[in-house]
Amino acid sequence: MKNILCVCGLGQGSSLLLRMNVEEVLKEMGIKANVDNADVSSASSMKADYIISNKVFAGEIRSDAKKIFVENYFDKDEIRSALSKELL
Amino acid sequence: MSNVFLWIANNIFGVPAFLIGIIVLLGLVLQKSDISKIISGTLKAIIGFLIINIGSDIIVGALNVFQPMWAEVFGLSSNTMPTGFMGFDKFNATFGGYIALIMTLGFLVNILLARFTKFKFIYLTGHMMFWTTAVFLGIITHVKPDVSMTLVVPILSIIMGTYWTLQPALTQKYMVKITGTDSVALGHTVGIGAWLSAVLGKFVGGKNPKSSEDIKISEKLSFLRDSNVITALTMGSLFIIGAIVLMLKGTDVSKELIAAAGTQNFIIYSIIESIKFAAGIAVVLFGVRLFIGELIPAFKGISTKIVPGAVPAIDAPIVYPYAPNAVIFGFLGAFIGGLIWMVILGNTVGYVFVPTMIVLFFHGAAAGVFGNLTGGYKGALLGGFIIATIVAIGQFYTVMYLLPSTIPDTAAWAADTDMFIIGPVLYFITKIFR
Repeated sequence: MKNILCVCGLGQGSSLLLRMNVEEVLKEMGIKANVDNADVSSASSMKADYIISNKVFAGEIRSDAKKIFVENYFDKDEIRSALSKELL
Repeated sequence: MSNVFLWIANNIFGVPAFLIGIIVLLGLVLQKSDISKIISGTLKAIIGFLIINIGSDIIVGALNVFQPMWAEVFGLSSNTMPTGFMGFDKFNATFGGYIALIMTLGFLVNILLARFTKFKFIYLTGHMMFWTTAVFLGIITHVKPDVSMTLVVPILSIIMGTYWTLQPALTQKYMVKITGTDSVALGHTVGIGAWLSAVLGKFVGGKNPKSSEDIKISEKLSFLRDSNVITALTMGSLFIIGAIVLMLKGTDVSKELIAAAGTQNFIIYSIIESIKFAAGIAVVLFGVRLFIGELIPAFKGISTKIVPGAVPAIDAPIVYPYAPNAVIFGFLGAFIGGLIWMVILGNTVGYVFVPTMIVLFFHGAAAGVFGNLTGGYKGALLGGFIIATIVAIGQFYTVMYLLPSTIPDTAAWAADTDMFIIGPVLYFITKIFR
């Protein structure tokens, strides 16, 4: 199963919100994956196939994972279209 | 029969780890998670909860170097930090279960209010629910150490649930203008501060306020988004400045503090202590992330079933993308304001303000976005300064007067805007009913 990591600045609220929305969207799309959330520092040392984040963190994320950027962590339509592009 | 209740009270409710485990377990079972998720989720929540305590001890250690150092810099005659307090480690070990219980019951109150009133907001910012409940409980148990938890739990749950429903309502008028949608709300303790920034912003913006987004700001400032880095940098600078001042002052107290470094150069020692502060925070945040990461999805699952048309009230950063420059102006206003207040408070009431970057950044930034809405970049700067004022003065009276015997260590870095505004109200209510 693929590992998807949702990232924000502090790893507290925003990344968790993104994670919950990503989990819901993946369920709707019928895709199974391990979804976790973290702050931008921790993300660099975590294993992931995909990292979903906002482009303000682009410069800070150090990882070989495929980066997917969304503007609004609460916009499920945007998340769905971004995930469809990469995962389908 | 009462023995059974006593046993349950002491061994389950009284052991936070178990109570949290049960709440998360129930949440996962209600969400029909598979058995492996139930086991791993419950354990992760408990582990996260205990990690918070470990991180808190590190922070207290660093604060115990920071406060005396800067007290001496300001020439204050005695250590300004309360002494002999419980500390978050011990507080959480005693009351942690109640914190989790109040969060859960408070959340249920939130759901009921959302279901039956026009305020359809469901507060989903778990870490803020945790810290706010902890600080309020810290105030109540300081005023009345032997307070009956059978009384406090329902009352505080109702208060929290009401706050979590109404704060998003307060900011929604401006949120709709910022995000362009009514389907999301702000659920964050910057709430009252952000609202104030939007209200006061129009007085500095003039007739045609220049928006912060019309001003060009360098991309190089993006590293400010990493809280570990910015905390370490600021605390590091403050520790180094403090160390140099002490070495130059050469007073007896300075020599004593310098002696604590042993054979190590005092500046090197200070740098390490400041980074320990950032390290302690990083550990605590990791613990909260694990714990909240299991609790909040369960809460969300329950709320979507019960409240049709629920509007999620979420973390402050959701407004940042709508005015990224206002974020910087707001933070600048808060940061500079924080330093100014540090000097003012040190030289007047003799309190060493701990300017935590996390609070100043996240709250200052949100207030900046709200201030920019009505007052352009000047409104954003003002918003940041308003936050710094509330946080500096609030930290002072909360640490020194509202909860000095319980968790002033926590109030010094994790308490913020709305907590400082509502805290005194709880303090006086508890005093009346003592």
